[in-house]
Amino acid sequence: MATTTAQLIVTSTDLLSDSLSLSAISTLTNGGGTTGITQTTGLGRTKSEATSLYILYDQSALGVPAASAHKVYIKNMSTNAAQFVTITINAEELGRLYGGDWCFFPWSAHDSSNDISITPSVSSALVIEHMLFFES
Amino acid sequence: MATTNATLTLTSADISSDALNVSRAATLYKADTTTGLEQTTGLQKTIFSAVTNIVLFDSTALGVNKAAKVYIANKSIDPAEFVTITINAQIVGRLYAGDWMFIPWSQSDAAGNIELQPSVATALPVEYMMVHEGITQTSA
Repeated sequence: MATTTAQLIVTSTDLLSDSLSLSAISTLTNGGGTTGITQTTGLGRTKSEATSLYILYDQSALGVPAASAHKVYIKNMSTNAAQFVTITINAEELGRLYGGDWCFFPWSAHDSSNDISITPSVSSALVIEHMLFFES
Repeated sequence: MATTNATLTLTSADISSDALNVSRAATLYKADTTTGLEQTTGLQKTIFSAVTNIVLFDSTALGVNKAAKVYIANKSIDPAEFVTITINAQIVGRLYAGDWMFIPWSQSDAAGNIELQPSVATALPVEYMMVHEGITQTSA
């Protein structure tokens, strides 16, 4: 098994009158156990040049099991704050990643239409960095 | 405006033959701008004791197509315990004990609530926070 950790740190000295310094760290394990996730797509980058819907992770093509503890990382590498990509799961909108934003979330891949897709806001070149950790 | 930073670090020495060490930082801005988000729910913690699906964050008109960010962590220490996260009945995924997520939330329609369902009816602690641009207030 592999040992992979994901750490989040959120800080702010002026969002509230009490300084915010939140830290969360997790070891990526298979669902329901303590065995580390052993598979990954690797860290990838995808450049889009249209405002079409792109399937980033295709549940059927990957053949990943349902109701598991897969994890997804996506970052919008644009430096333009107005350029965003809309993240969807099976056509349900999760949110918009604006230039520089990233996200990290679990993916249960519970059926064949449960793909993770992106739709860029611009037709000029826009680069997305992404990675999937998955169990088999 | 406020300055709030979120940093993700992914590390592994053995998931592949090339060690993984990715660190990415973002400043949380309002949509389309470089003005910092200045509102938050604060960091909340709830101990759930039923397997009922509950609304964790209620989609509101002021949040539509904005740049809200949501953090949720399952603080259980039992690896078998999980919470299922859904948006408008669409399952996003399961957060097992110790897992966390950090996502943008555009509240694309009135039904686009973020919901959570614990897998067990015993005490299951969950921590959560939203940093956002505004919440439509309900009249008394």
